[in-house]
Amino acid sequence: MTGYETILYDKQESIAHISLNRPDYRNAYNIQMRDDFSEALTAVRCDDEVKALIISGQGRAFCAGADLNEFGTAPSQAVARRVRWQRDVWGQLNELTVPTIAAVHGYCIGSGVEIMLLCDIRIAAKDTVFGMPEVHLGMIPAAGGSQTLPRNSGESAALDLLLTGRRIVAQEALGLGQVTRIVPRDELLDTAWNLAVSVSQFPVPDMKYMKQAIREGQDLNLNEGLELEWRLARLAGQG
Amino acid sequence: MKEFATGYSRISLWYESIGDWKAATISLTRPDSRNCIDETMAEEIREACRRLNEDEECRLVTVTGTGDFFSAGRTRVDGGEGSPAERMERLKVADSLASLLMPVLIVLNGDALGHGLELALAGDLRICSEAAHLALWEPGQSAVLWDGGTQRLPRLVGTAWALDMALTGRNLNGTEALRIGLVNRVFSTSELETAARDLAEQVLAAAPIAARYAKEAVKKGMDLSLDQGLRLEADLSVILLSTDDRSEGLASFKERRQPRFTGM
Repeated sequence: MTGYETILYDKQESIAHISLNRPDYRNAYNIQMRDDFSEALTAVRCDDEVKALIISGQGRAFCAGADLNEFGTAPSQAVARRVRWQRDVWGQLNELTVPTIAAVHGYCIGSGVEIMLLCDIRIAAKDTVFGMPEVHLGMIPAAGGSQTLPRNSGESAALDLLLTGRRIVAQEALGLGQVTRIVPRDELLDTAWNLAVSVSQFPVPDMKYMKQAIREGQDLNLNEGLELEWRLARLAGQG
Repeated sequence: MKEFATGYSRISLWYESIGDWKAATISLTRPDSRNCIDETMAEEIREACRRLNEDEECRLVTVTGTGDFFSAGRTRVDGGEGSPAERMERLKVADSLASLLMPVLIVLNGDALGHGLELALAGDLRICSEAAHLALWEPGQSAVLWDGGTQRLPRLVGTAWALDMALTGRNLNGTEALRIGLVNRVFSTSELETAARDLAEQVLAAAPIAARYAKEAVKKGMDLSLDQGLRLEADLSVILLSTDDRSEGLASFKERRQPRFTGM
């Protein structure tokens, strides 16, 4: 355990665990959390012992979205754009080479959905409510949601959710491919932990190459993707 | 109050106010010919789309059919003047619908077959009557698709279902179409009109520029690599910071009230 203000960071054996920790604000994502999250992700990336990462939330919600008291107050668009890429916490999460597991419960709204969608394996407690209400605030998602949602759920379902901002429950999120497992609330963290243990049994490069082949392959045509897979499998064989 | 645009014979184009917003509807109006697309109807759809894209006030477009069919396809290409390629060009409609900048709601009041389904694929959200059937083949036409079906369908439902429908002419009912993601919701025939209205109201509750940008981010983003898509999203979201509606969205959230968007 280390002294972050807005998250808990823990490492047991080879599994890192980041838990969003502003329970009084339903883990609303604020600037301090962005900075803490970014530091913790740097710690994960630099730690060769880490073989899997779990992301979850403390209290009654995974994450109820961005803290609107803090965001949207940049002095200018130029500053907002610079800050977005200066501390690219979403890129950091997206580029981790170890498997990442999101374990969500309660409210998973806006940035909460986006954090989840940047993870590889997503588990929801039965009680979870999801929503992307940005257009009702005059915004669109800004942590990759407009890209990750259609890539996971298809263009039409993504437009449905983004244009109406409607809320959905865990079962519908499962049907739309936003999560791949639903468990009772009291089994959520155990399930995530068991999955993390399971993926950490494999040689680190194997999981890294599988993740890379599937993710990078999405941006390639089939032949290029097959070549990438072949190249990575041979690298794994040499390791 | 519906305000009809004049000058159309194969379609109706009308405007109405939903809440504070202006919404448009294109209805295919050849019920005696099962709303089949002919050259005149195609030209009218393209013209209506051009007109709607120039209309800064229009926030939402609904496309539906009059009578029992959405559209059972098109008239034969082998009649009429000019070469086959020229006649095909004159029958194309899907790209013009896909070029609309505002959200486009497709209300499948009845069967959408062949070219009719290709038109429906070019919209954003599709809702369907449970009595409707959807298929890529239409009676009396070649199986060859040329109004976007081979590209838009697999992008919506995946390769497996697209090939099944393209190669076998497989006909799906509303429930099956819902399961594979070809439509977003299914309603009984009697509920469809109310459901369409409800959905239109839901979409119109969004800030207008944000809704357009969300559409652009998703649709353009799907043609880009993830990295480039993330860049597009970031740029669009930064632009939105300058809008009045962004300030109003934040203010309404803090004051726990409904936002009053202006589209500025």
